[in-house]
Amino acid sequence: MKTNLWGVGLVWLVAVALAWEWGAHLLAVEFHDPMAGSKLPYLHAVVSTMVENSGVLFEAAEVTFTQAAIGFAMGGLIGYVLAILMSVSRTVERIAFPYLIVSQMIPVLGLAPIVFNLVRDMNASRMVIAAYITFFPVAANTLAGFKSVDDEKRTLMHSYAAGRTTTYLKLMMPFALPPLFAGLKIAAPLSVTASILVDMLGSKNGIGVKLLYALYGGNMDIFWASVVTSALLGVASYLAVLGAEKLVVPWETASGPGDGR
Amino acid sequence: MTDRLKNFLWPLGFGAAFLGVWQMGWFHALLGLAPFQLPVPTEIVESLTLHLAKTLDDCAVTVSGALAGLVLGSALGFLAAVVATMFPKWGYGGLIVISALNAVPIVALSPIMNRWFSTGMEQKIGVVTVVTMAAMAINAYRGLTSLRPFSLDLMKSYAAPGSAVFFQLRLPNSLPGVFTALKINITSAMIAAIVSEYFAASTSGLGFGIKDNLRKAEMAMGWAYITVASVAGVILFLVIALIEKRVLRWHTSQTRG
Amino acid sequence: MSSAVVDQHNPGPVQTPFGIDPSSPIGSVIRIQGVNMVYPGRDGHETHALREVNLDIRQGEFISLLGPSGCGKTTLLRIIADLLEPTSGEVLVFGVTPRQARMNRQFGIVFQSPVLYEWRTVRNNIRLPLEIMKVPKAEQEDRIDQQLDLVGLTKFANRYPHQLSGGMQQRVGIARALAMKPALLLMDEPFSASDEFTREKLNEDLLRIWKISQKTVVFVTHNISEAVYLSDRVVVMSPHPGRVSSVIDVDLPRPRSQESPEFFSLYTRIRRGFEGVYHQP
Repeated sequence: MKTNLWGVGLVWLVAVALAWEWGAHLLAVEFHDPMAGSKLPYLHAVVSTMVENSGVLFEAAEVTFTQAAIGFAMGGLIGYVLAILMSVSRTVERIAFPYLIVSQMIPVLGLAPIVFNLVRDMNASRMVIAAYITFFPVAANTLAGFKSVDDEKRTLMHSYAAGRTTTYLKLMMPFALPPLFAGLKIAAPLSVTASILVDMLGSKNGIGVKLLYALYGGNMDIFWASVVTSALLGVASYLAVLGAEKLVVPWETASGPGDGR
Repeated sequence: MTDRLKNFLWPLGFGAAFLGVWQMGWFHALLGLAPFQLPVPTEIVESLTLHLAKTLDDCAVTVSGALAGLVLGSALGFLAAVVATMFPKWGYGGLIVISALNAVPIVALSPIMNRWFSTGMEQKIGVVTVVTMAAMAINAYRGLTSLRPFSLDLMKSYAAPGSAVFFQLRLPNSLPGVFTALKINITSAMIAAIVSEYFAASTSGLGFGIKDNLRKAEMAMGWAYITVASVAGVILFLVIALIEKRVLRWHTSQTRG
Repeated sequence: MSSAVVDQHNPGPVQTPFGIDPSSPIGSVIRIQGVNMVYPGRDGHETHALREVNLDIRQGEFISLLGPSGCGKTTLLRIIADLLEPTSGEVLVFGVTPRQARMNRQFGIVFQSPVLYEWRTVRNNIRLPLEIMKVPKAEQEDRIDQQLDLVGLTKFANRYPHQLSGGMQQRVGIARALAMKPALLLMDEPFSASDEFTREKLNEDLLRIWKISQKTVVFVTHNISEAVYLSDRVVVMSPHPGRVSSVIDVDLPRPRSQESPEFFSLYTRIRRGFEGVYHQP
């Protein structure tokens, strides 16, 4: 079944690529759309632009990605510690929980310009926003993980007269690793998005800047190349977390994948 | 009763304390900020009440775009999940494609939509639709296919037609997941709508309001707009949560404490 | 309803209920006196999970708590293990309170389901109590190897729980409890989730281990033949309210044959005692 999935994925990839080319063709040739080049350029054209400018694109992507990664790591750490605090103290949980929810309602991407105004530094802004976006999924998921430890496992620890620290280290934290990674997988592409947005606010480098300049300069090839690059960055961040998960969480959880297919 | 009261009072107290500290300028001292960089709560409230009508208008514009996109995107996502359920082998790959679409940063989607559509509203709806499809597709798919063991077998033993299996079994089973996706999507929709307004041809909406006011260095108004956007998001979230409570009365997540 | 007053200073012939043996108070590993467990009900109706239980468990014996659901056998075991506190009465384990015994890690407990930690290999699951007890590393390995050999799972040491069958997982649970080298083993229906064939094999293994280690074992079960096969004494309990109905000595030499007439008569005697249990309100 596993090998099948790769085969299916490949077929889909090819299908999407073909659909893209066909769509571009339709626009340009069939509908004679004057804006065809900017609405949906030929995939092969985009790819060749990317290859031509790979050095520049890569450099820009690297800046954006690394800053996002740092913010992601910071946010993850803060979120994790917060989850532990909330798990240990009912009062902390009471205080933090509603604000945790509300914090997700605040349009963080709308917050970006304000953060930048406050912090004044490009890199710091990227990190702050990426951290902000990451800490909620991590905190919420980890806390949910802590809370869903089955009673019997706790009872086992109790029968060993294990102290609270021991119980956290040997039971709660390993148990909550799968949901933690679920949260990280959600947050990773979001961190990249946040970093790109900050790029656009007036940074000197980063893929978002390339995108913006290309847009205003009317350079649609570079624009689309940047778009595809950003998308690839998002996917790459997701895959990176997935890879880390495979290493850190090699076991299957009690509740396996539901398979009512 | 005291437990529920505590649940309420602690965060309220903390929030009040937070606002108090802010008002008194402690954050300014801590972060080395000048008053014009970070307006105090009273200033924000003042600006808001002065321009309340316009702010609410903008809010309506953004929210309507967000909701329209939310409905469209969720519908498409759900449809994709249904198709994936009916053609299991190929469907799953299709879902992966949709998830990949999710990875395209909103900030890149917006300019693309600008090319496809001419009005700000259309662009906004376009962006929101793409952004909300994936979450719904994945959650709905999981709900439609994660059936309890033997429930399919039971249906088979009744020689139930495909439509019955779908409407009596899979669909109700998917509702909790659908609502989870809706709750996630409402937040994404608001954010996507606002970001879209940043880059779009719009001259109205919350995103425009934030951008415009910051450009004019009207910090208090900028913050006011953010506050309104957040409150709108919270209200919409609560509405969906309430509907969920009604619809899912039978589900364990509602009956468990 | 009879709770004898055991005169500490003059433990001569006294009217005693079943179980308490005044001639060897020092030889008893567990002393249960006047234990009641009452749960407040919803409409003012209390539930008597346990009523006036008195029991003495001797060093090195294999004793079963047998009865249908609701008779309080698991409740009693949990009280001994300090996982529950009785409403009234006194329990002494190795002469100290259950809490003290638990803090001293003087007993090992095996639950109905294996309760293995998914993220640890079989080897590391067995290691868990040893880590907590801060047993030195080298000795940890020795004990683990020994237990793996005892339960016959040496080849699976580095597998994860989800790769093992239910019966094998339960054997890991037993190995884990034994690795603590406790003098007392508490088992709560450990084999009830297994099929008959696996259960018989596990019973044999358990007896083999018990013979070698000479521990005291308190074994909860609802299976009459299992109780008769394994135990020196069977504590028969009945529900509504949960109480001890009788304590039966099983004097048969081991290994016991389930086909022998003596076995059958004991089995029947116990079984008849339960007739009418289900017709009680």
